[in-house]
Amino acid sequence: MNDSQERSAVGGQALPRLSRAEAHSTLQLSARGRHGLWRRFRRASPFALIYSAAILIFYTIIFIIPFGTGIWLAFQNWDFITTPKFVGLRNFAKAFTDQYFWLALQKTVLFSVVEIAVGLTLALLFALALSQIFGKWQNIYLSLYYLPVITPLVVSIYLWRWLYRPTGGAINTLLSSVGLPEQPFLASSQQALWAITLVIIWAHLGTGIVLFLAGINDVPESLFEAARLDGAGFWQSFVRITLPLIRPVLVYQMVVSVIGTVQMFEAFFLMPGPGFSTRTLALYTYELGFRALNLGYGAAVSLIIFMLLLGATVFQLRRWRIEWEH
Amino acid sequence: MARNATFADTGRLPARNAAWRRWFISGRWAKTLTFLLLAAFSFAMFYPFFWLLFSSFKTGADIVRLPVSLLPEKWTLSAYRMVMDPTRANLPIAYVNSIIVTSGTVLSVLITSSMGGFIFARLEFPGRDYLFYFVLSTTMVPFLTLLIPLYIVMRELNLLNSLWGVWVPSIFSSFGVFLCRQFVYGIPRELYDAAKIDGSGDFGIYRNIILPLTKPILSALAIFVFLGAFNAYLWPLVILNDEEKLTLPLIIARMANRFGGTDYQAVMAGSVLVSIPPLIVFLIFQKNFVRGIALTGLKG
Repeated sequence: MNDSQERSAVGGQALPRLSRAEAHSTLQLSARGRHGLWRRFRRASPFALIYSAAILIFYTIIFIIPFGTGIWLAFQNWDFITTPKFVGLRNFAKAFTDQYFWLALQKTVLFSVVEIAVGLTLALLFALALSQIFGKWQNIYLSLYYLPVITPLVVSIYLWRWLYRPTGGAINTLLSSVGLPEQPFLASSQQALWAITLVIIWAHLGTGIVLFLAGINDVPESLFEAARLDGAGFWQSFVRITLPLIRPVLVYQMVVSVIGTVQMFEAFFLMPGPGFSTRTLALYTYELGFRALNLGYGAAVSLIIFMLLLGATVFQLRRWRIEWEH
Repeated sequence: MARNATFADTGRLPARNAAWRRWFISGRWAKTLTFLLLAAFSFAMFYPFFWLLFSSFKTGADIVRLPVSLLPEKWTLSAYRMVMDPTRANLPIAYVNSIIVTSGTVLSVLITSSMGGFIFARLEFPGRDYLFYFVLSTTMVPFLTLLIPLYIVMRELNLLNSLWGVWVPSIFSSFGVFLCRQFVYGIPRELYDAAKIDGSGDFGIYRNIILPLTKPILSALAIFVFLGAFNAYLWPLVILNDEEKLTLPLIIARMANRFGGTDYQAVMAGSVLVSIPPLIVFLIFQKNFVRGIALTGLKG
């Protein structure tokens, strides 16, 4: 960045100042500019140019063409077999009247909001508690909390499906042994979504703890010392010192978590509740594209997800930056 | 009075008493309490894994026995034999497939990211920053949006139902390029200039100077790429079809369909075997792990 600024500054000086006498040569100037560009290409190292070509080809195949195809597809009706038929905005209009789309959107938002709110709060609490412990034990606890993150999610899902069994499941055995009523969990359309949310919170908690702990450990100890001398308690120094200083971590976590939770697929695919009770937008897109073979509509729904996520990200960043400045 | 005097004489209980009081007043009791609470929670977090591990040593009759018990009645390896038997489950082949795809992805991402980091941070060529910001901007589009059209592109390229199709979309990683670029900015420019004056080519500088110096960030990146590639589910699910081409997460789901009804212990045994490679990587790179998360998370 710095280099290019320097370079353009030098270039700016080298350009003749456009006095009236010299203003005859806009043409010549542009020619000189093109010549400069060519020279810069020739002076650039072949290593950089080959790499750039490779990365450009890669993203053309993996990003530009699919993204373009996706947008094109959202205006078509296609089932892989017949020729695609242009339907205009009908796919998008369909989404707005499609009750399954709204249901899926509702489940997605519920899952995402609860997972992030509960997950990040828990992670922050754990990180705070861990920050009070030093040395070896901090690492040991950290590793234990991180194990579910390491474990392949598919493994966790089948493990929890086993624990959640209505009769003879480990959790119900535990509940009845302390005198609580047994629960249906995944078999109930009221509880299934929350049962899945709990699994994902469990599976992702470690990441949040590690990030928050890194943030807290970065806060200079002298700040806490000063606060203690001024008579601030634990809670006060948390609200006044820790929280503001780890806000970048918090914002990063929230933005990343929204993107992650909205795209969560395996959990709803492999551990579904009854009926539509746990069908989120990610699952809906997959089913539209690869089960119902309604590719156009599937592409439209996935574009809506893209726009929703973009909106959510921009909203969060702006909102938090405003508070940050304030 | 008399008792006090004796204790005062020996000087033991008051001293110990004072130690307890100091312990309480100093607030160190809060630390002890925190410690115990954390221990309890870590047990709760770990508890499901006990079920995973112990159930995998049960027999088919043992695992459905009521009331359930955590420990097997009789320890047996029959579940492991079941999933390693090529006629009943394709776990060994899936292991090979997963190792191929994962190592391919890790290698390619490490190479392309370190090269990209160096090139975008230090080399000059027209359009460099535009290209970099374009690469960065691709992360704004969620993978879910690209899922259906990318499948169509892969179909056109004849990469369906092959491990190539799983690998190709992850040759480059925009996140990795970004991370390495940030890291290369931290390497003194003088090193590059000195090597240049000594007559090294840019690839030579990358190979001999930049690559060794970016090792810390590369080892952190490697862990995340490994986990991401090894645990990937959705994209392999869409691309792969034949049983002998499936990766480990997919084979777990297949096994659950096959054994789930009657032989859940086989699913557990398969799960244990699938969890071992990430666990080994974690244990080996544990130090880099925590530092890596901090590096990648905070700079992102």
